[in-house]
Amino acid sequence: MKKITALVLALIIAALTLGLAGCGAKTDDTANETEAERTSFTMGIDPEYPPFSYLGDDGEYTGFDVEVCKAVCDYLGWEFKVFAVNWDEKLVQLDSEECDCVWSGMTILDSMKDAGYIISRPYFDNEQVLLVKDDSEYKSSADLAGKDVAVQLGTSGEALLSGDLSDLAKTFGNIVTANSFTSCFTELAGNAVDAVFVDAPVAQDYVANNEGFRIIDEDFGAEQYGIAFRSGDADLCARVEAAIDAIIENGTYAAIVEKYPDIAGNLLLTK
Amino acid sequence: MTLMTMALKMASGLEKTCAIFFLTLLFALPLGMVVALMRGSKYKVISGAASFIISVLRGTPLMLQLIAVTYGPYYLFGISVSRNKLIPVVVAFSINYAAYFAEIYRSGIESMPVGQYEAAQVLGYSRVQTFFKIIFPQVIRRILPSMTNEIVTLVKDTSMAFTVSYQEMFTIGKQIANSETSFIPFVVAGVFYYVFNAAVSFIMRRVEKAMSYYKI
Repeated sequence: MKKITALVLALIIAALTLGLAGCGAKTDDTANETEAERTSFTMGIDPEYPPFSYLGDDGEYTGFDVEVCKAVCDYLGWEFKVFAVNWDEKLVQLDSEECDCVWSGMTILDSMKDAGYIISRPYFDNEQVLLVKDDSEYKSSADLAGKDVAVQLGTSGEALLSGDLSDLAKTFGNIVTANSFTSCFTELAGNAVDAVFVDAPVAQDYVANNEGFRIIDEDFGAEQYGIAFRSGDADLCARVEAAIDAIIENGTYAAIVEKYPDIAGNLLLTK
Repeated sequence: MTLMTMALKMASGLEKTCAIFFLTLLFALPLGMVVALMRGSKYKVISGAASFIISVLRGTPLMLQLIAVTYGPYYLFGISVSRNKLIPVVVAFSINYAAYFAEIYRSGIESMPVGQYEAAQVLGYSRVQTFFKIIFPQVIRRILPSMTNEIVTLVKDTSMAFTVSYQEMFTIGKQIANSETSFIPFVVAGVFYYVFNAAVSFIMRRVEKAMSYYKI
């Protein structure tokens, strides 16, 4: 009896070991396979971030980043997919493989590199600006002392205000963090805040499309946009970068840039 | 940032979370009773209005109601959005929870046997006396478990105030999570909510015990 029990146990253990080993080997295989024979690519975007990524009039996501990514996918023969991330959870959603990259006017932060994310080379020079109402009397950030300023949670503007620009932030009355730029702008329009601290291209786009707002021209330091990939996806990053080079060569990139004249001046990859 | 500074920073937002919680209870508990009594009114207009209000408030997301109460007046009438977000947040939470509380009150009132009313009448109680001295205490005792359920949900729903940029505890947690690229603030938030709710459950159990006299 004992012998039979031992035999059964041994069999079970052997089966488990083999099974686990088999599983391990299998996962490795699939990982390699998907990278070599990738058929689809999901870009993670902030759906409320014009002109880089937003919901177009036809109900499809569009914008500069979306169009470039689409061209990259067309070039590489990948099926192009868009996933709208929750901006303040973007890296968690990237890690949980809901998307393959975050590519949506994303400012490159040192903390992302420190956390192991693969960041593409920068493609856009960005700066932060203050957006105020046209009829207000604010001319510089100094005029906003004691006033309320809104910023989107998870943006570089928020990171700046709690980091490098914390001295400036202390002069403001309240810093209101909102979950999208749309709500920041609503707060400003509804007089709940006095200014919005926001990326220049988004502010320019908003001023161009809405009446009664203006941008305070002041230098808060430069930063750059890049694409974030998971820590293990250096190869994927290289393939996407190579594809971007290719579409720059064949003129596709320039054709997309032409559609977005407001941001063309700050693009880094055009020659 | 150490765990301690993180927790302290988030605790500073706990005050605002508590403000939503207690003010909502303060307004929603009596308001719910009013709506429940309206719903039970013998006048069709009043009871119809009450059930319509309840169906709208229960049938639309709290998040939407928060946005409507906060930004609605601005979009519709050009009235400035309130700088103190606590006001629209508490208004939205109170009307939403009043609708749920009203239905809980109603379930309690309707569960009372007719015999209770008849006995009170025989003993010479007026209708008002019957309600407040005999029916109401028993109703409260009977609905306490469902109330605890709703109140525990309220604690967790406070995090929804972020929709209208109200800087409560969970919003601060998200800010830290972002700047530190760390998951710890969510764990801290989870502990905060759990402890808060453990306290709520404990208190509600004590109340249930204290009111066991009215148990039928």
